[in-house]
Amino acid sequence: MITEEIAYRRESRYFKGDPVIWYIVVALSVISILVVYSATQSLAYKQSLNNPEKYLIKHTSLVVLALVVMWIAHRIDYRFYARLSLLALYLSVPLLLITLVFGPTINEATRWLTIPLIEQSFQPSDLAKLALIAHLAAMLSKRQQNIESVKESLFPMLVWIGVICGLIAISNFSNAAMLFATSLLIMFIGRVPIRYFLILLVIGGLSISFALVEGQRFETAVSRWEAYKKSLYDSDNAHPQAQESYMAIASGGITGKGPGNSDQRNFLPHPYSDFIFAIIVEEYGLLGGALVVFLYLALLYRAMMIMAQSNRAFGGILAAGLAFSLVIQAMIHMSVAVGLVPITGLPLPLLSMGGTSLLFTGISIGVILSVSRGDIIE
Amino acid sequence: MNIKKSILLRVRIAFLLMGGVALAIVLKISHIQLVDGEKWRTRMEKRDIQFRHIKAHRGSVFAADGSLLATSLPFYRVAIDPTIASNKRFEEGVDSLSLLLSQVFTHKSAEQYKTLLTKARKNNRQYVILSNRYVDFQTKKAIEAFPILRAGKYRGGAIFEVENRRFAPFNSLASRTIGYINDEGEGVVGLEYSFEKHLGGRDGRALFQNIGNNTWRPRYDGSSVTPEDGLDIFTTIDVNVQDVAHTALLNALIKNDADFGCAVVMEVATGEIKAMANLGKIREGIYAENYNYAIGSRGSNDPGSIFKLASMMALLEEKKMQLTDRVETGNGRHRFFGTPLNDPKSGGFGNISVQQVFEKSSSIGVAKLVRKYFKDNPQKFIDYLNQFGLNTPLHFQLVGETTPYIKNVNDPTWSVISLPWISIGYETKISPLQMLTFYNAVANEGKMVQPILVKYIKEADKIVEEFNTVTLKEKICSDSTLRQVTRLLEGVVERGTARAIRTTQYRIAGKTSTSQKFIEGKYSKSYHTAFAGFFPADKPKYSCIVVIDNPKKEKQYGGDVAAPVFRKIADRLYANDLQMHPEGKVLTQLTSVKKIPKTIIGNVQDISTLTKSWQISTQQAATMGEGDWLRGKAQIDQSLTLKDIRVRKNRMPDVRNMTLKDALYLLENHGLKVVYKGQGKVLSQSIPPNRVFKRGRTVYLDLH
Repeated sequence: MITEEIAYRRESRYFKGDPVIWYIVVALSVISILVVYSATQSLAYKQSLNNPEKYLIKHTSLVVLALVVMWIAHRIDYRFYARLSLLALYLSVPLLLITLVFGPTINEATRWLTIPLIEQSFQPSDLAKLALIAHLAAMLSKRQQNIESVKESLFPMLVWIGVICGLIAISNFSNAAMLFATSLLIMFIGRVPIRYFLILLVIGGLSISFALVEGQRFETAVSRWEAYKKSLYDSDNAHPQAQESYMAIASGGITGKGPGNSDQRNFLPHPYSDFIFAIIVEEYGLLGGALVVFLYLALLYRAMMIMAQSNRAFGGILAAGLAFSLVIQAMIHMSVAVGLVPITGLPLPLLSMGGTSLLFTGISIGVILSVSRGDIIE
Repeated sequence: MNIKKSILLRVRIAFLLMGGVALAIVLKISHIQLVDGEKWRTRMEKRDIQFRHIKAHRGSVFAADGSLLATSLPFYRVAIDPTIASNKRFEEGVDSLSLLLSQVFTHKSAEQYKTLLTKARKNNRQYVILSNRYVDFQTKKAIEAFPILRAGKYRGGAIFEVENRRFAPFNSLASRTIGYINDEGEGVVGLEYSFEKHLGGRDGRALFQNIGNNTWRPRYDGSSVTPEDGLDIFTTIDVNVQDVAHTALLNALIKNDADFGCAVVMEVATGEIKAMANLGKIREGIYAENYNYAIGSRGSNDPGSIFKLASMMALLEEKKMQLTDRVETGNGRHRFFGTPLNDPKSGGFGNISVQQVFEKSSSIGVAKLVRKYFKDNPQKFIDYLNQFGLNTPLHFQLVGETTPYIKNVNDPTWSVISLPWISIGYETKISPLQMLTFYNAVANEGKMVQPILVKYIKEADKIVEEFNTVTLKEKICSDSTLRQVTRLLEGVVERGTARAIRTTQYRIAGKTSTSQKFIEGKYSKSYHTAFAGFFPADKPKYSCIVVIDNPKKEKQYGGDVAAPVFRKIADRLYANDLQMHPEGKVLTQLTSVKKIPKTIIGNVQDISTLTKSWQISTQQAATMGEGDWLRGKAQIDQSLTLKDIRVRKNRMPDVRNMTLKDALYLLENHGLKVVYKGQGKVLSQSIPPNRVFKRGRTVYLDLH
């Protein structure tokens, strides 16, 4: 029996859907602007002595833009996304290939593509991720009646997961592994029988190892794993970046050093993106860190309630899938910062600075909100 | 169980999983803060990390012909992060790397290196200095190709720390004029100090970590604030003239056992200083560029008889005296208000003309004449000296110039003997360079120009600032005075105190100085000798001053001590400057022997064969394109920098410095007829480079 009810006390004219999700997003956006401003101090100093507010302005406008994108996405009937997802998926395969071949090399990996005319670089993997999850939701919902059929249900999904994760893994292993895990989780939620997952694990493992050996990042992945193994016995053996992160967390204490008072922003690589959670704990303490963890969990909980509310399997799986994708990435980012998993360079969704991924996160949440509005009767 | 219920059950399981992770994260934060907290906080406090300056690359000082006078060369300390290389790379390379390192740095054996590297890798040491010895660029290039290290910084762990050191290719030549820098790399004297703003650039800043022993290792590769490199300054110094001035001055100082000396050469029309040599005795028989005597106060006491030129000019400007007027100088001993003044010749010069007073440098004569015409209004005499620009500092490019001092009649130290004593170069303070600027004005038809030592400030090949001649006084005296004093100055060399340096090749105009130093109102045994003048007297091109203080050997007259140095410098300038030669007279030129020619121009294949067979290392210039023709420029480390020469269709190529073979090939391929004379390399071409031409035209080449 489903007893949960989402209380739409007063439906706003402009802001529809679950108000709690709106509150969570606004809260995270405010935290994001504060922390990114602090974390980019050293970067701003490095690059433009005259205008230290450069990154604040840039990031704030992107956050606002992400909110706008989210608002637009939430006004669109979620059923429309079922059709859009396949199109986006077909588009992302050539984009990923083009990026691998022509993209500029940043940190020894090619992940970025510059959109002609507007000269904005973006990661096609962000698009591919969104498209794959939406399409999985569509496929799963369509096949609920014969979900046990390997040929009808399992195989088409696996092909897409394999192709997309494989292409991403060549240049960005951790992102691909994360997407693979998220896909498995969504399939699990979508009632794919447990026994198939064993087969999936074998296939996934094989394609990932292939990508690693043939790809550009094999040595990086191995060295990170080695460092992680060492650190399990003794935190002194942890990766130097992890040690910097521990210093940030330890010096933050229960209540933190206060906004803008981070010391470790000078020592952590990409403090405004890959290690933003460490800066949050340093400046806002254990309490601040726990609040952020809670906000993500609350977001996931609301998405779960939307799922319970929805009339169609597609809406439910879509909302849950997107929410899980977002929250899994957040959990991994935070686990990296506290040293639960090896170092990977994942941004914290909604909080990290980083142009286009913020926009794709905005779309994700917009879609969740759209689902929460229920079937729109035109 | 219906579908929806099943889905919701599964999603709750997944949510619980996430909740578990979330709990783990919060617990891990608490663990880091409470259990390990103390350790991390202490480590953070102890960590020795600073924002440190990254020195900007200091600009170079060049001579007029582009030779380097002072430059900063990079030297490298070699270190390695032995934990970076993969197992495979490390195992395969460690033996040969150790062997090669032991050959470069001889203080450790191959065995020792291998132990060091293997141990450091095992202990996870991320920074191992391979040698405290800094290596030069060539060696660094070689080390970069060693096993393991050749994989670079990120895969091989190679670390090269650069340190720039100041290097003067010509050693002590003009070193006081060029100046030097302190340990912080800032100029302290000379041009290095005066042009610190340009040469020094702007330092950058980056984060460094102290890894023990006060060794600072950069934390991340990119620097926080990129340093802005300093600019280059191009001086007017001619290394050949400077070399002659230096050598001639040094020999004269040693020969006469003098205390110090200086020699400055100036181009008359522009005021450009071609040479500025300063030498002071540091030990018996050993002299060094230790002080700028040409501009500083230590070289600027009582200018002596060279000052008599100014007195003569003041007398002539009054227009009451003729050069043929007679003056009674008596037996060479005269007392002015009880203070004795002696002439150099024992027994005195007797009754002589004004012209002879100057040529023989009779102090009694000059003092008597000045007293005769100015005793009623001595300030008028001082006003003339001011009019000649003698009492004004030059304010030129070199910092440290002493302020001239010529007293007024209302000066508290003014006395009855001040007028005669000032007229013969006592009781005043004027630096040799100020004196030279005055002589230069006489040579330059009365126009006084500011001395200039730096002509350009350049950023790479681009001129940032150019310094042009500044006129200090348009006309210091009348033309008739100028004509008469030139005759006086020529007479000094023709018949007077400097006849020892007379030459038939060109005419010198100048004045000697031999002043006994007045110490406590008495003549002492120490002398101050000088010679100032210009040449060729009929059409002056260069002016020059030579000062030699306190010669202690048998010769103590300016004509014998300082003037010969002047002559040697003048000879070299004359030999080098064809414009000064009357037609038909050519002196052989001396060329310095260098290992490789300054420029080589030729075909790509030829140059590559040449450099290979002679083992000359080459570097490609940044602008290197793809052409068939190359210009190689010699660097001080005996390597060649190669640049391609653009050859465009229907445009005249620049064939200067090419061999005849190459020039013929290139020009005939362009459809030109070539007529040449002489042998060797191309000196000049009748169609200037880059000019558009018609096929079939004839081009004339001069070879040498």
